[in-house]
Amino acid sequence: MNTPAIRIKNLTKDFSVGMRGVKLRAVDDLCLEVGDNEIFGLLGPNGSGKSTTIKIILGLLEASTGTCEIYGKPSKQVDARRSVGFLPEAPYFYRYLTGRELVRYYARMCMVPRAKIDAAVNSVVELVGMTEAADRRVGTYSKGMLQRIGLAQSLVHDPQLVMLDEPTAGVDPLGSAAIADIVRELKRRGKTVLLSSHLLAQIEGLCDRVAILHRGKLVREGRVDDLVEEKDAESLVVEGLSAEGRAAVEATIQAQGGILARIEKPRLSLDAYFLKEVHQRESEHAAQQVKTGSQKS
Amino acid sequence: MSLLNSFTRIRLIAGTTFLEAVRQKFFNSLLIISIALVASSTFFQQFDFGTGELKFITDFGFGALFFFGSILSITATTQLFFNEIENRTALTMLAKPVYKLEFLAGKFLGAHLLMLSFSLVITLVLSGILYWREAALLARLGEDVLLDGPLVRYGDVFVFGFLQWIKFGILAAITLFVASFSNTNLYTIIVSFFVLIICQLQYIARDAYSGMEAGLERFLVMGLGLIFPNFQLFNIGDQLVFDVEQALPLTTVLRLAVYGLIYTCAFILLAQVNFRRREI
Repeated sequence: MNTPAIRIKNLTKDFSVGMRGVKLRAVDDLCLEVGDNEIFGLLGPNGSGKSTTIKIILGLLEASTGTCEIYGKPSKQVDARRSVGFLPEAPYFYRYLTGRELVRYYARMCMVPRAKIDAAVNSVVELVGMTEAADRRVGTYSKGMLQRIGLAQSLVHDPQLVMLDEPTAGVDPLGSAAIADIVRELKRRGKTVLLSSHLLAQIEGLCDRVAILHRGKLVREGRVDDLVEEKDAESLVVEGLSAEGRAAVEATIQAQGGILARIEKPRLSLDAYFLKEVHQRESEHAAQQVKTGSQKS
Repeated sequence: MSLLNSFTRIRLIAGTTFLEAVRQKFFNSLLIISIALVASSTFFQQFDFGTGELKFITDFGFGALFFFGSILSITATTQLFFNEIENRTALTMLAKPVYKLEFLAGKFLGAHLLMLSFSLVITLVLSGILYWREAALLARLGEDVLLDGPLVRYGDVFVFGFLQWIKFGILAAITLFVASFSNTNLYTIIVSFFVLIICQLQYIARDAYSGMEAGLERFLVMGLGLIFPNFQLFNIGDQLVFDVEQALPLTTVLRLAVYGLIYTCAFILLAQVNFRRREI
């Protein structure tokens, strides 16, 4: 499929705040494309516009300006959401339904044909590893189980695009790893996954590409490896260097009882890169504020 | 097919809304209090009202139905709406291919189904009490009192219950409209109760403009009289149940039902206008 899963062009969202209707810009001229069958991470500190962007993609909010498309269809059209599954952050479901009833309910809401509902429900319940607990009431589920049954309801109508808002928030490491495995399995099945998360270490190993938002603006976007590599530096891991240098190092290493294995580019962790970018933006913003303040006075 | 799908989604949302509502302690408490109040009218048998006792019980029952029904209609609709928003189940729901109007219609129908159960239970209890007291009166006064016709027209007790249910529907739609732009439960409940009072006293505006000369003032007052439905139209219990000579024609009941339906649809559509722009 050549059409991007999500195409966002010059998206801006302003909220009116207070009685005077003061404009608060949540998303600022955002341009973004998420390719088909890609795992895409949307990163940013609180208030950076991630959730607003997700809500606009889902058609739950109207953009002030700009456009947003899902597989070529304007996202505000209800029809565009037929190919979308969504898991909100810290989901709450009807506590009196069993997990299976809940997934069935959403399957019916998405107009899954009656003849296929049982198979669809069983399939996603199995995919998220909830087969044993599926007939228990949702009210008895742990946080991790809630996330997994939430994931099942988002997948039951076999959407091509799956959007997960903080899917591992409040979930223990094992549960997080299980959710990461499900995301990888979705990619293997040809699905596109957009996820927002604060658990950057997990995103790093999971996402094909990421975008960093700060104060509604796109700060960086690209493949995780491209973003976190330090291009102007190399680290000597074990073997390598120029022929002479390598020989000298190797001789030294051999003399010391070691083996030079390979040379690779040193990496920043995604956490470190993210924090560096955010701190840099914060400093720039603070400087801008000071400058504006001094100009006014 | 699309319309059929729409109805299916509305039915599903209404079903879960109703289930959620009947599981609330508030509903069950209010239902028990209402039943207890209607049933307590049997204690009036110690007063010798004669056939007037039946009217007293009926007025008492209708009063309880209106009073507790209005409270339930406003509070349950508010709570059912805000529960979905605060718990973010609305987010999960509206992220599916579900129109916001379908969501609102489902919420309304769920609340309206709740009010149907409430009205039906109270009407059944009231009819039971009336039947029991009527039998006691007939045993005491003899069958001669039936020469002018039955003491109570039980069918009409249910017609009254039906009309109250229609009125609760308008009230639920008004509450949904207020909730569509309100941010808190409390604000919604208070404003909706104010609107209820205005609707109850709306005949004053109608009296006012009927005596006014044509002009802007009359137009404005008439406009106000049209914006708010006239709830006094539904208070026809006496005429329905006891006034044998001037029984209310079925066409009047149907016209009232249509009147209620028009206001209900109008307020749901107004709620949709607000809800479309609301951040969830």
